[in-house]
Amino acid sequence: MFTILARILKVLNSEASPWQIGWAVALGVIAGILPFGLLTLIILLVVCLFTINLSSFLLVWAFSKALLWLLADRLEQMGWSWGQQDWLLSLLSNSETLQLLHLHHSLTLGAFLLSVIILFPIAWLTTRLVLKYRHVLMPHLNKWKVVQLLKASKLAQVYQRMQ
Amino acid sequence: MIRKSGWLIFLCLLAAIFLLVYVFAGTATRIGLVYGLEKSAGAEVNINKVSIGLFPLSLTIQDLQVTDAKQPEYNVVSFSRANAELELWPALLGYYVISDLTVEQLAYGSERQKPGKVYRGELAEPGEGDFDLASFFAVELPDADELLARANLTAVAKGEQLKQLAQTEQQQVRQLRDQLPSSERLRELEQQIKAITDGDIRDAADLAAKTEQLRQLKDELQKDKQQLELVKQQLQQSRDNLQTAATDFRNATQADWQQLQSYANLADGGLAGISQLLLGDLWAERLQQLYTLYQMVAPYLPEGSRLEEQPEPMELPGRILPLKQQPYPNFWIKNANLSLLIGGGTADVQIQDITAQHDIIDAATRFTLNVQQLPLLQQFSLDGNFAIFEQLQSEVNWQLSGLQLAEQMFGEGATRFGLQQALLNSSGGLNLQGTSLSQQASVILQGPSFSSGDNRYVQQLTQLLNQQAEIPFQLNATGTVSRPSVSVSSPLDRIVANAIMGEAQAKFASYEQDLRSKFNARLPNTADDEQSLLSLLDREQASTEAMGEQIESLLDAQLGDLRDRALDRLRGRIGG
Repeated sequence: MFTILARILKVLNSEASPWQIGWAVALGVIAGILPFGLLTLIILLVVCLFTINLSSFLLVWAFSKALLWLLADRLEQMGWSWGQQDWLLSLLSNSETLQLLHLHHSLTLGAFLLSVIILFPIAWLTTRLVLKYRHVLMPHLNKWKVVQLLKASKLAQVYQRMQ
Repeated sequence: MIRKSGWLIFLCLLAAIFLLVYVFAGTATRIGLVYGLEKSAGAEVNINKVSIGLFPLSLTIQDLQVTDAKQPEYNVVSFSRANAELELWPALLGYYVISDLTVEQLAYGSERQKPGKVYRGELAEPGEGDFDLASFFAVELPDADELLARANLTAVAKGEQLKQLAQTEQQQVRQLRDQLPSSERLRELEQQIKAITDGDIRDAADLAAKTEQLRQLKDELQKDKQQLELVKQQLQQSRDNLQTAATDFRNATQADWQQLQSYANLADGGLAGISQLLLGDLWAERLQQLYTLYQMVAPYLPEGSRLEEQPEPMELPGRILPLKQQPYPNFWIKNANLSLLIGGGTADVQIQDITAQHDIIDAATRFTLNVQQLPLLQQFSLDGNFAIFEQLQSEVNWQLSGLQLAEQMFGEGATRFGLQQALLNSSGGLNLQGTSLSQQASVILQGPSFSSGDNRYVQQLTQLLNQQAEIPFQLNATGTVSRPSVSVSSPLDRIVANAIMGEAQAKFASYEQDLRSKFNARLPNTADDEQSLLSLLDREQASTEAMGEQIESLLDAQLGDLRDRALDRLRGRIGG
């Protein structure tokens, strides 16, 4: 638990730009809610090719996998009802590439639609939060006595080790 | 913005995932299979090894054994090796297309090296499910009150309805009387008409006045006539209602009695056939296995044609969208070869196009089995097909001859008896349309030899059976696949019944009488109400008929008389 918290703090205090962290969190969330398949590998490739914060991505991916199990029924129903549209069915029937991405599966389609909707808002929101943390919260926190005490604690030792 | 080592990191991650899957896929599949099968079988499942091959993509399962929850010393099913070759491109698209499936040494009911664990359901007691000969000879009939309580007697409700209807209709019929003109009124009208028609006509003005009076009286009579017609119709309606309710009640009584007879096994002259008792449950159990097949394909059946909703499995949900042109079925085994252990040898079973979406491949699943001269079986051929188009449909035919039966015991304790040896011949066919099943089969036991204990009745029974060169049975099954109704008959039934069941027959007859009287006592007494309504209707209809005739005669008579007399008088005056 301390290790995970330390990792989060490390990323927040690192040189990584807020956008790199923002995209890592957004892509991690959508990799988590999509069933594992070619789409997941494409997201992984994007994360590797661009300077997106890898450790944030992996951490969020692992945690947001639980979201898939929580939302599976609703995503499946959403995908199924969306998937009844004639133009979409024709498109999927005629494109083996889209079938290769498993978009003709109701759950994958539902998860993909949700991913498209939440990708940019999550990236933007996370970026804003990181900026807020670094410019507003961090300087204040550092002045608090309790934080100074904590710095001398086990969490701080773990954090130092990771540095 | 671009990570220079991005491809390298990606490839490393990909390789790690691939390695992880390759190394642990076999074990994970084995654990998953064991978990899933144990959950559905309710007993221990053993799989020695599951391995994944890459070129071609394949899955191999070695030594699978599924313990029989009722007899843990035996397996429900087992095989030594199964190999499935998966086609890669359909698999990438999310369809499971198996080009070749081979199953070696597939066996049903094979003996286990050590008893398997049973996780669910009570272990069957020894002899449970078998025919209980002791109770059969004790002629322990079910309690009549219990049977009546268990049966859903519709006749009681129908009888109450009839009684209620008879009482209501009686009230209504009595109220109808008030709507009819009273006899006093009719008499008064008759007198008035008589006074007009019998009286003298003095002049033209008098004629006009009397004509007007007659017209008014005629109008009143017409109104009364209309009212009378209305009442007649209502009386007829009451009679029809009574007849319908009485017919419903009698039909329900008949159906309830037949149901009670079947519950008490009282059909066929008071005794269920011994063949039904010996083979009925066994055959029903075999047919019940069809229901397992049905449950497997039920999710693929069009909505509305399913027998019942299937429970959802505990896994991520997901359906393939109804594409305009689906390239492959969700699951499709193109060729399957099974080597089946039967009759002391091995039979090869060939199956083509196993799927539940036959409309996509436009072909039915076909299967054939043909073996001859096995150590314990002379000949066995089976062929059939199976398809789901608008609904589930299947046809199976078989011909089996010279199967040496293993020793088998029936009953318990003193009434235990056994089949030591016999050859089994059978032929038949089975047809499944949707959920309705129809099957005919003939089974012949050749040269049977039975052994028995000390019980006098059992000795008589086995002696009689041993005298037969062959015992033929006719097995028919109809009904739904989940609840087939199996009837087994044999010419032997009557012989056995007459020979050793004489005293039982008397007991059955007295029981039937008792059941009938208790059944009759439960039915409401509708006869009085029904009869009194009928009498009332008869009386009222006769009375309305008479009244109708009276009105008609009044309407007919008065106009003609008056006119004739007026004309005579006019002629007299002109002539005189």
